[in-house]
Amino acid sequence: MLQTIKNHYDVIVIGGGATGAGTARDCAMRGLKTLLVERKDFTAGATGRNHGLLHSGARYAVTDQESASECISENMILRRISRHCVEETGGLFITLPEDDLSYQAKFVESCQKAGISAEILDPKEAIRMEPSVNPDIIGAVRVPDGAVDPFRLTTANIVDARLHGADIITYNEVVGFVRNQNRIEGVNLRHIKNGTESTYYADVVINACGIWGAHVAELAGVRINMFPAKGALLIFGHRVNSVVINRCRKPADADILVPGDTISLIGTTSSRIPYEDIDKNEVTPEEVDVLLREGSRLAPVLANTRILRAYSGVRPLVAADNDPSGRSISRGIVCLDHAERDGLEGFITITGGKLMTYRLMAEWATDMACRKLGSKAQCLTAKTPLPGSESTAENPKRKHIIELSTEQKAAEGRHGTMSRYIPSHNANDDALVCECEQVSVGEINYAIDNLHVHNLINLRRRTRMGMGTCQGELCACRAAGLLGKAYGCADRTLNDLASFLGERWKGMYPIAWGETLVENQFTSWLYNGVCGINQMVGKKDVTPNKD
Amino acid sequence: MKYETIIIGGGLSGLLSGISLAERGHKVAIISAGQSALHFSSGSFELFDSAENPLQGIASLSEEHPYRKIGLEAVEHYADAVKDIFARAGVKCSGDKNRNHYRITPIGMIKSAWLTLDDYATFDSAEELPWRRVALVNFEGYIDFYPKFLESCFAKRGVDCETFTLTLKEFEHLRESATEMRATNIARVMTGDILSKIAQELKGRIGDAEALFMPAVFGMFDDEAVTTLRSMVRVPLYFIPTMPASVPGVRTQIQLKNYFQKLGGVYLLGDNVTEGVMEGGRLKSILTANHGDMEFEADNFVLATGSFFSHGIIASQEHIYEPIFGLDVAADAHRSEWYNQDLYAHQPYMGYGVTTDEQLRCKIGGESVANLYAVGSVLASQNAIVEGTGGGVAITTALYVADKIINA
Amino acid sequence: MNYQNSNISSNNFEQCIKCTICTVYCPVTAVNPEYPGPKQAGPDGERYRLKKPLFYDEALKYCLNCKRCEVACPSNVKIGDIIQLARLKYSKKRPGLREQILANTDFMGSLATTFAPIVNTTVKLKPVKKIMDWTLKIDSHRTFPQYASQRFTTWFKRHAAKHQAELPNQVTYFHGCYANYNYPQLGKDLVKVLNAVGYGVNLMEKERCCGVAKISNGLVKQASRDAKRNLEEVRRSVAQNREVIATSTTCTFTLRDEYHHILGLDNSDVREQINLATRFLYRLVDEGKIKLAFRDDFKLRVAYHTPCHMEKLGWSIYSTSLMRMIPGLELIMLDSICCGIAGTYGFKRENYKYSQAIGAPLFKQIADLGVSVVACDCETCKWQIEMSTGVKVENPISLLAQALDVERTKALNNIK
Repeated sequence: MLQTIKNHYDVIVIGGGATGAGTARDCAMRGLKTLLVERKDFTAGATGRNHGLLHSGARYAVTDQESASECISENMILRRISRHCVEETGGLFITLPEDDLSYQAKFVESCQKAGISAEILDPKEAIRMEPSVNPDIIGAVRVPDGAVDPFRLTTANIVDARLHGADIITYNEVVGFVRNQNRIEGVNLRHIKNGTESTYYADVVINACGIWGAHVAELAGVRINMFPAKGALLIFGHRVNSVVINRCRKPADADILVPGDTISLIGTTSSRIPYEDIDKNEVTPEEVDVLLREGSRLAPVLANTRILRAYSGVRPLVAADNDPSGRSISRGIVCLDHAERDGLEGFITITGGKLMTYRLMAEWATDMACRKLGSKAQCLTAKTPLPGSESTAENPKRKHIIELSTEQKAAEGRHGTMSRYIPSHNANDDALVCECEQVSVGEINYAIDNLHVHNLINLRRRTRMGMGTCQGELCACRAAGLLGKAYGCADRTLNDLASFLGERWKGMYPIAWGETLVENQFTSWLYNGVCGINQMVGKKDVTPNKD
Repeated sequence: MKYETIIIGGGLSGLLSGISLAERGHKVAIISAGQSALHFSSGSFELFDSAENPLQGIASLSEEHPYRKIGLEAVEHYADAVKDIFARAGVKCSGDKNRNHYRITPIGMIKSAWLTLDDYATFDSAEELPWRRVALVNFEGYIDFYPKFLESCFAKRGVDCETFTLTLKEFEHLRESATEMRATNIARVMTGDILSKIAQELKGRIGDAEALFMPAVFGMFDDEAVTTLRSMVRVPLYFIPTMPASVPGVRTQIQLKNYFQKLGGVYLLGDNVTEGVMEGGRLKSILTANHGDMEFEADNFVLATGSFFSHGIIASQEHIYEPIFGLDVAADAHRSEWYNQDLYAHQPYMGYGVTTDEQLRCKIGGESVANLYAVGSVLASQNAIVEGTGGGVAITTALYVADKIINA
Repeated sequence: MNYQNSNISSNNFEQCIKCTICTVYCPVTAVNPEYPGPKQAGPDGERYRLKKPLFYDEALKYCLNCKRCEVACPSNVKIGDIIQLARLKYSKKRPGLREQILANTDFMGSLATTFAPIVNTTVKLKPVKKIMDWTLKIDSHRTFPQYASQRFTTWFKRHAAKHQAELPNQVTYFHGCYANYNYPQLGKDLVKVLNAVGYGVNLMEKERCCGVAKISNGLVKQASRDAKRNLEEVRRSVAQNREVIATSTTCTFTLRDEYHHILGLDNSDVREQINLATRFLYRLVDEGKIKLAFRDDFKLRVAYHTPCHMEKLGWSIYSTSLMRMIPGLELIMLDSICCGIAGTYGFKRENYKYSQAIGAPLFKQIADLGVSVVACDCETCKWQIEMSTGVKVENPISLLAQALDVERTKALNNIK
């Protein structure tokens, strides 16, 4: 079959999270012909459902030295290669009156052992540094925590993978493998909306699906023991803090408050859930209450700060192979050569780990793939900046940031040096679509043309459109208008608009009181009452987009 | 300060109660915490949306529903009466309480309605439109108008539709700002010469279109711009509602408020009623944020504070309450019961509001307050979205209560 | 400014649900596209400023501080306060000589009244106006307010002060810069009316400018200093059981609300004792404590203009209700829209054309009505309307004084 040859790759990476995107980038940079396949959109899984914390590793220092060392070394790498995704906020580990202050000494010692700078501060100094912190603190340690935007980070990896020749397919689920005796030779895909099936072939298939990796491995006929751990988080309407605030005690519920772009995040809870529930992403009222209660201990102002959303993600905790009970669970990186482990050639699983170590995970998986493919290419991802984070020295014509308009400043924050490609020539381009997050028509069109955008949810993840205070009430319709113009099909776009609003509500109903309820009533009046968008819902010829 | 009636809330229902009373010489004051939800009005009012004959549909509602409380006869009566009030206030609209008509929404859906402002096209069927060929006109740089969706709406119903975009020099100034090209800002520019210019531009491009559609960005303070432009175009010219703020909605608010003031009514904007002084089962007076310890006394009070949007009802993390008087509300106890996970399903919270007796008098601790009535969307047991009753409830309860007060 | 300190914001801006109603009623948005509008400048911008101060947009200087956005907001967001606070916190533009001159209304006033004939003639001269335009960027089209040759305080000390103690009740009058330096007649009118109903007038020992012009010109330290002094005076007055009343809406509004909201001074103990003269009088009439009698020969057709800060106070009803008590006065309400001057705003060259564009609909309405007098409780509105329409503008207190039958009023109130 002619198609077979066209559809043949050196490596197929399954999974469009940070790890998958990073692996595709690494493979492509090493000259491998690479395909990345993703069931939904990039960052739809755990990558887009965490704190966005640029861990210093301090959190793991006491319990897991290995993870802590990995974190601090990746932390420093990400500051270099993904400047536009990272904010160097610094972090505090605070001790409250109800905490054991003697933990602090152990904590500092463990940090220093792992190579993490940890400086004990006078509580007064800590309050001056971060005025939102609970004024009752009895101890504080400064560590090099920061914030990292997982959407930007993943997108930048995808963009670079494509620049190096990788192909990307989204909204296609792996439904089976092409297996030739004890060798995986390809994947069978099905489009999750229209059901179209296709097959792609590769010498090596890398399973980088996070918690979904257990299921994918099963399709390949191998078993990985994973334990889904759900963590719920709350997003606050604006930046409450500008320095990451952690609790200096053994990791527990809601003990990290991270500033991220225009908002702050508190999380997480932690609970084991059945594997069948990994797609549910529900947040219960009890979890919300715990997050608010504990969060207000870190920063009391949280108790009366508007909450924008509640969401949850699922960590892929992997049981050591010799312990199927799941008692000895590692939070470290797990890179499995299934040839060695299960006698299945051409199949690698990369899982465990965390957002912080995505690049290292990608490096390990790619190293393994290279060995299988006989390639001696070296990993360059620790040194090569991602698109958007290149040095700006070579572009002296660039305006100083202070001369830019508000939306240009915001766009530069989101896209780094790539923002030079955002059209800004006339009044059309500069008109604002999303007023909360300062997203212009030009930025929307740039994302549609360059960042693999098929629907409004994609657009939101690439630009922050609809992520602000009104959660899409004002901008969703405008953005739909632009998408409709780009894709031509009115019904598809209107259906997309209906599901976009439905998806926004998913993160709002767990916190449906106060302004959230007001906002939703307003949105419902507008979109159902005035516009009649609810007529799009329940139409048989239209599949709801559950992404 | 002493009035015969004080109305709390200056939106559609508050204004209509006020007008109805003031027209009969009553001394009325309206205290409004800010501008109202009329600013987002589609320009259509629904009596009962989910049945072809609205009046028949109303009979199927629960007994707690405001319509059922005032009775079908009253609904019919006030549905007619409001048309005369609108006419006297200069709000031009039409519709038939016995039969819903249809209108086109901003995204090209067809929705039914009872009364619709004359700005918009109305027609008798959702499937068939009364034109074979129409033209859509947008303005360069205006992104709250969606020709693609509207084209699709026309195409599905076999109507040929041609879209063109006018580039107006007069907008260049506005467009220097990233957020100025919004409906109400454009409407401020749409006066005088620019209307003739638009008409001139259209002349050569209408072709054989039987009707012309434009975004509703004309006539914010009165309908002069609408009338003028229409008089200069040779085919029927209709408007399509826009995302907020709605120009015809703002105009309706202003027309009703001006009419109320012309009748001698006092309209206090931007003030919050902070508490009520009760005396023997009656509300004696109220206090406001702006007026401090200056009491506002009245024989009767009308609560027209609206739903959650305008803070007539408030949801805290723990409970749902009416913030001024602590009135009895109908609401589920636990917040997990307030919502449905499906945005498009019935949302229980939409039906929350103050409970009343048969005469729409509010209650505290189960007892009616003798001279405090509730009207409009602050009333419990309605769901404006699912039933399509928002405008109708606001209008009929407002006029019903005004009559109760007059006849008391 | 310490970045961290500026990173704390009250959460009021989060009550904004992005309904955009404020933008409909913003007078500046309607005429000046450089201004981002109240929603963007206020709650939307605040989120970004909390993220990074570099998101502060100097175009916020175009805000008039009219507070009409706050009056319109259905969610009780203090949009105007958010914008003013942001200007004071983040603006890199330091106030220059022009701002000092415009803002120091009391200092300039005391200088100018001393040399009133010279100053009045000089600032009218075309070459002088041109020079002010070039050097200070004060627009040459602008007519400067006239300075009086005798200050109100001087008149009061010479002619009125000694009789006041004879009256049964006492109040303190916060005359403000305008009544003192530009239009002492207003102060005299108030004394006339209050004396007729049995209220003696006292002045503060050392009244400072209320500070509104300093606040809007970024001179926040000076404003705070004056405000603290004024509050001390207010407290002294209240301790003597004397309510403090003002004839200017802006002075009243500044003392009551801006001191707390913008300058962060706690005035809650005396806020309710700071009153507008018309409200003070209306309440006395309403409570039956005083009676007013008016001349039979007084006939006047008056249009009432609601100043922005009056709209924000919500008190125009007191001024209009008082005027409606005058039998010979026909009162017509003008649409409540901004006249465009906004204190010193309209004096600045970069604002002049917007200032006039904002007021244009109001000027047209006044011209169409053909009234001989416009009533209004704000002095800067007075300059703007007089300059732009040629129609005389009077404070309701002055109209009351003109219409008052002093002898009959005294008799009704048992005053000798």
